[in-house]
Amino acid sequence: MKFGIFFELSVPKPWHERSEHQVYFNALEQVELADRLGFDQAWAVEHHFLEEYSHCSAPEVFLAAAAMRTQRIRLGHGVMLVLPPFNHPVRCAERAAALDIISNGRLEFGTGRSATWTELGGFNCDPDLTKEMWDEALRAIPKMWTQEIFSWQGRFFSVPPRCIIPKPLQKPHPPLWVAVTSPETAIQAAERGIGCLGVSVGTPSEYEERVKAYRRIIRECEPVGEFVNEQVNGVTFLYVDETEEEARLWGSKLVYTFGLLAAHFTGVSSIYPTPAYKVPGLLFALRREQEQRSAPTAAGGGDGAGVIREGMAIGTPETVIKQIKLWEEIGVDRMVFLLNAGEVIPQEKVLRSLQLFAEHVMPKFDPEAARAQASDARAKAGR
Amino acid sequence: MPDYGQLAAEQLPHTVPVTAPPYPPPPWPLPGARLLKVTYETEKEVPLRWLPPSLGRPIPPYAHIVVASFPETPVGPFSLAVQTIGCRARFLVRAYSLQAVTDSPVALMALREVWGFPCLLGRIAIAEEEEEVEAQVEVGGRTVCVAALRAGAPIDVEVVRFDPYLNLRLLPPVQEGQPPPHISLAQIDPHYQFHRALRGRAEVRFPKPSEGAPWHLVPFLAPVVAVWTEADTELPFARFVMPY
Repeated sequence: MKFGIFFELSVPKPWHERSEHQVYFNALEQVELADRLGFDQAWAVEHHFLEEYSHCSAPEVFLAAAAMRTQRIRLGHGVMLVLPPFNHPVRCAERAAALDIISNGRLEFGTGRSATWTELGGFNCDPDLTKEMWDEALRAIPKMWTQEIFSWQGRFFSVPPRCIIPKPLQKPHPPLWVAVTSPETAIQAAERGIGCLGVSVGTPSEYEERVKAYRRIIRECEPVGEFVNEQVNGVTFLYVDETEEEARLWGSKLVYTFGLLAAHFTGVSSIYPTPAYKVPGLLFALRREQEQRSAPTAAGGGDGAGVIREGMAIGTPETVIKQIKLWEEIGVDRMVFLLNAGEVIPQEKVLRSLQLFAEHVMPKFDPEAARAQASDARAKAGR
Repeated sequence: MPDYGQLAAEQLPHTVPVTAPPYPPPPWPLPGARLLKVTYETEKEVPLRWLPPSLGRPIPPYAHIVVASFPETPVGPFSLAVQTIGCRARFLVRAYSLQAVTDSPVALMALREVWGFPCLLGRIAIAEEEEEVEAQVEVGGRTVCVAALRAGAPIDVEVVRFDPYLNLRLLPPVQEGQPPPHISLAQIDPHYQFHRALRGRAEVRFPKPSEGAPWHLVPFLAPVVAVWTEADTELPFARFVMPY
C-alpha cells in the first residue's frame, strides 16, 4: 500500500492579512517533507467560496509551487472541476498539461463536479446537469492531450479544430481519476477505466462494497482515456503522536474542526432536490451519528470527544498500523491523509506526525518507500 | 382548619384553561397536507442578527418560506406559513423559525405554546395552477409576503426534504425587571410521507412590509428553488429541547 496527503488549505477565522499566506506556506512545507519521507502523492482540492473550510480555488498554482519544491512525490488535482461554467474543458487540459511539464511528469488528473450549492449556485451551474457535463469533459480532455488537432461538438461545449497546447509530458497522458462519494460514482469510475479518488471520510466497512464493485466492473470497462488507471484511494485523517492520549487529543480536534467547517457550507442535496445529488455528502457519517446520539447543540464534544472512528489514522504508530491494516484488508491501493483543518494542529506537530508515520508505520506497508528513505538518509550522512 | 383546593400538579392538563383545554396534546397527525417551500439566498447579516448563539450561519446564508395547508387536523383545517433561517446546529442542517402566520385562532395557541412557532393570526391564500403555485400571507390586512413556484415540473419525491425546525420557546416574565423564566430551543422533526412533488423556480416578494410582521427583514437576494408537495405529515412531540 502507498500513502499520500490531501490539502484543503483551510484558513480559520479571525482572518488577518497573512492568514492565507501562512496556510499556503505551511502546506508547502508539509509537501516538501512528505516528498523526502517517501509519501507517494499530494493532492489539492478545487473549492470556491467555502470560507474557512478551503481557500484552495487555484490548485494549479499551489501544485506548481509544490512541484518546484519536490522531486518524487506525484501531484494531484483532487479534483479539478471540469464543468464548463467553472472551467472550460480546454482550459482544464491546457493547465493540466502545463503542470505536468513543470512537475517533470508527476501529475495525477482528478476530476469532479462539485457537491455544494455554495459553489454551483455561485457559478450559476445547474445541479441537474453536472453529471453529464463531467462525463462530456472527461471524454474530451484526453483527446485534447493526444490529438494533434482537436475538435468537439458537444452538448455543453464545442470547439472548432484547434491544436490544444501544450501537451502533457506523460505519454499518452496523465492518469485520470474521479472524486467518489457514493457507490454509484465508484461504478462510474470503473466503467470509464479511471481511478477512484475517495474524498469522503468513511470507515473501511463503508468502503468495502464500493471497492469490490469497482474491481469487478473495471475488468469490462470502456476506458475514456488511452489506458486504464485501476487504482483506489481511500481518505482519512492522520495524526500520529508518541502517546495515545496526545494523539487522540489533537486528532479529535482535527476531526471535529474539519466536520464543523464543512458543515457550514451548503450541500446541494440539503437544499436543492435533484436526483443528481442523492447522497447526503461528505459529512453523512458524522451527521448520522450526531443525529442518533444527542441534542445537536448539547454541551460536550466541543473538543471533538467521540468523533474518532474506525479507520482513522489517529494514535500512536502501533494504533495507526492497526487502522491502516483495516484499509489494506479491503483492498485500497493507497491511503491519502488530511493533516489539518483550520490550522487547529500546530505546524510543528503536523510535521512531527508525518515523520513518525514515515518512520514507524510506512515501512510496514510500503517497503519501497522505506528503501527510498534509507537511501536518502545515507546520502545525507555521506555529505 | 380552612379547606384547600384538591387539584394537584400531577392532575393538570397540558394547557389552560384546566376546565377545558382548547386543543389536544401532540402528536397531531396532519394527513393530506399541501406544502409549498420556497428557498432563497439572503443577506449575511440576517442569520448573525437573528440566530441564537448556539447556531451557526451557513454559506451562503439562506431562508425558507414554508406555506402549508392542513385540511384535516385535531383542531379543524388550518394553514400555516413559516419563515425560517437556514442554520447549523454543530454539524446538522436545521431551519430556525423566525416568523409565522396561521389562520386558525385555536391552532395559533397550540403552535405557539407547544411547538414554539412564533405565530401571528392572519390570512393565508394558496393558489395552484398546473405549473405554478402562489401563496399570499396577510397580517392585519397587509400582504406581508408572496412566495411562489414558477415553471414547475414533477420531481421524484425521494429527493424532497424538509429540514427539522428549531423553534424558540420563550415564556415572558410576569414580574417587573425579571428575565424570561424559560428560554429554550425545541427541535421539531415532523415525519413526511410525500406523494407527489413539483420543483420550480423560486419567487419571493414582500409587497406591503409591516412593522408588525416584518418578513422583509429576511430579504430576497437570489432564488435557490421552490418545491410543492402533497404529503401526510404531523406535528410530533419535540425530538430535543436544548438550551438557547
